[in-house]
Amino acid sequence: MNVIDTSGLGKQYGGTWALRDCTVAIPAGSLTALVGPNGAGKTTLIQMLTGLTIPSAGTVTVLGDQRAGSAAALDGIAFVAQDAPVYKNLSAADMLHLTRNLNRFFDQQYALARLGDLGISAKKKSGKLSGGQQAQLALTLALARRPKLLILDEPLAMLDPLARHDFMAIVLTAMVDDGVSVLLSSHALPELERVADQMVLLSHGHVALAGPVEDLLACHRVLTGPAAEADSYAARLDVVLARRAEAQAQLLVRTGEPGASGASGASVAPGWRAHSVSLEELVMAYLRAPGAEVLSASFPARSARSARQEVSR
Amino acid sequence: MTIDKRLNGSRGGAAIEFRIDQGSGVPTYLQLVHQVEHALRLGYLEPGDRLPTIREVVASLAINPNTVLKAYRELETKGLATARPGQGTFVSATLNQVALPELATLRRTLVAWLATAQTAGLDEDGMVALFTSVLRDFVKSPGRDRSEEIA
Amino acid sequence: MSTLTLAPKPAGGTASRPVPWRNMAWVTWRLHRATLISVPAVLGAIAIFLWIAGVRIHHDYSLLAACHPLSADRCQSLNSSFNHTDWPTGNTLDILIHLVPPLIGAFAGCSLLARELETGTYRYAWTQGFGRARWTIAKLVIVAITVTAAAAAFSELFSWFLRPFFAPQEDLTLLSATVFDVQPVAFAAWTLLAFTAGALTGMFFRRVVPAMAVTLGVYIGLDVITWVFLRQHYLPPVVTSGPVAFNSGAMSANMPWVLSTWTSGRITFTKYIPVSRFWPMQFIEAGWLLVLSILLAAATVWLVRRRAA
Repeated sequence: MNVIDTSGLGKQYGGTWALRDCTVAIPAGSLTALVGPNGAGKTTLIQMLTGLTIPSAGTVTVLGDQRAGSAAALDGIAFVAQDAPVYKNLSAADMLHLTRNLNRFFDQQYALARLGDLGISAKKKSGKLSGGQQAQLALTLALARRPKLLILDEPLAMLDPLARHDFMAIVLTAMVDDGVSVLLSSHALPELERVADQMVLLSHGHVALAGPVEDLLACHRVLTGPAAEADSYAARLDVVLARRAEAQAQLLVRTGEPGASGASGASVAPGWRAHSVSLEELVMAYLRAPGAEVLSASFPARSARSARQEVSR
Repeated sequence: MTIDKRLNGSRGGAAIEFRIDQGSGVPTYLQLVHQVEHALRLGYLEPGDRLPTIREVVASLAINPNTVLKAYRELETKGLATARPGQGTFVSATLNQVALPELATLRRTLVAWLATAQTAGLDEDGMVALFTSVLRDFVKSPGRDRSEEIA
Repeated sequence: MSTLTLAPKPAGGTASRPVPWRNMAWVTWRLHRATLISVPAVLGAIAIFLWIAGVRIHHDYSLLAACHPLSADRCQSLNSSFNHTDWPTGNTLDILIHLVPPLIGAFAGCSLLARELETGTYRYAWTQGFGRARWTIAKLVIVAITVTAAAAAFSELFSWFLRPFFAPQEDLTLLSATVFDVQPVAFAAWTLLAFTAGALTGMFFRRVVPAMAVTLGVYIGLDVITWVFLRQHYLPPVVTSGPVAFNSGAMSANMPWVLSTWTSGRITFTKYIPVSRFWPMQFIEAGWLLVLSILLAAATVWLVRRRAA
């Protein structure tokens, strides 16, 4: 089952499209990283998935075949918005009571035990808790609903590194215990490589990359070699981003299929070295190269060459 | 990798704990596989020992459960581990273990080779490159000395 | 870190039934505790003041009414003191009480939804299982009933307070513009209207302050239109050529509302609305206000469902 399925999804505000032509399919049981700069359309996409916003174009279905925003979708999706919205003048105990009343299922014991573990006072007003504690409270409320899909919009921003680790450990163990799928929008690229097995990269309101992280990393390489040969070599390749200095150039290329022409492979021209790419490097390259064509998980055959972007050092 | 070898091996808690090297460029699941193989080689893991459950690994390292799953499946494919539903994943075979005295001898000869290489002017990266290249060829056709063929 | 395991979720059966409506009772109470307490409390405080002042005014009036003959000095001085102290008090309060429906209704209505949109908590509230349309309906109904009931009770007391002022020598009648809409049935209906208008503008503007300003403006406009144009047309007026019939008596509010007089030949015609029409008119006014309130509430729910957040 696909826990998120969109087709040509778009949202227009006034004359501008905040998101356009978004087609992704996210399988159940995965943790999907939603990355992109601010204003790229991440929050817009999330709002359409949670039913807070109605699409201007395209369709979106969640949890298999449910319409986004329908009763079944609301039931099965728990959303923690940016800045962890809780009612500031309500205590944690009140928030638990509130969430219990507003949902079909709520695991009160789990929620209380988690709050106890985290040292969050049940009586204090939520507004008086630290930013990190509010985030943890919001996550607790979401997980206690036992959703099938958990959507987190920049949940880690208020957390220190240890708290971030613990927060993600909770989310990931919920995946193991309960089969929750997760969509995580975040800027913390190094952490995402460790926790995400799917990725959707948005840039300027479009999907620039989508698919399993492993496959996406496997079909990109960084080639370093003499700057003099860079242009002619690059003409034969599918280059996402080229950087050149006086003597040396770096080309981030797409090899087209996962695992092909590996780092030590024969297709690397003499004088050039190939390296594998980290998630952070890959994301940054695509963000700097707005002309790059969409690479989606099904790796459709591409007829046109992607635009190259030269960045002079 | 921290070692927590229990005297009664196959019962009780998991025998090893994993760590992830974020910057190494090696995929996470492979790091886990290698750590298990490494432990097997050095004798820290024996057949019957329980590997950490997926949940335990995820809870302590905060990595994706599918990664751990993939690592354990890889180990199963290699025949090194077996999953018992409801109980966990257990080591089912050994890798050839090198006895400790032999290890010591190998270590000594390697140090001597490194000293020679350094005298010849190779730096660390040069040594790694040379070793990797010879190893690759050796693995492809073991036992054949190709030193004359390499210019 | 925590070793908590999520307990296994109970199978299937929860999928069929929606979350029960009664759950919203506690939710609305907890989220709007301030409004639900402060509106009755403020009205209660004013009511106490009205009671104290009203007792005095009723006493003064009964002294005046019992004083015979009216032309005697003693009675004249009672009359003049009544006109100079009690009457201004009553007048001032009457005008001030007219502010109650719009202020209370707008305050309660605007903060119902606008605050959630202002603070961003709608991102939590509208993604819970209960569903945002039902959530809005439940809130509207619960707070509307509370505010309207408090207003109705309050206006009962106020109408008792006003009664000494309907003496035949005064110009005041139950049908007067300043009196009609603070009588219990109309007062409650106007409060309800202000509330639902406030809820709609709050949802539309998403900010409490602009919503309140617009609500007050719309309310005042509607109020003026009603007493200038609408009210006299609720029921057909009576035209008579004879003297206008009304009961005289010491303490009565039975002066009719004279709309116009004209002469034709030697006969003077008077078009007026008799006081007996008071209660039917109250219910007609409350009726259309209620219908309008329901439409505004429905529009609010529609806006909640349709509006891209």
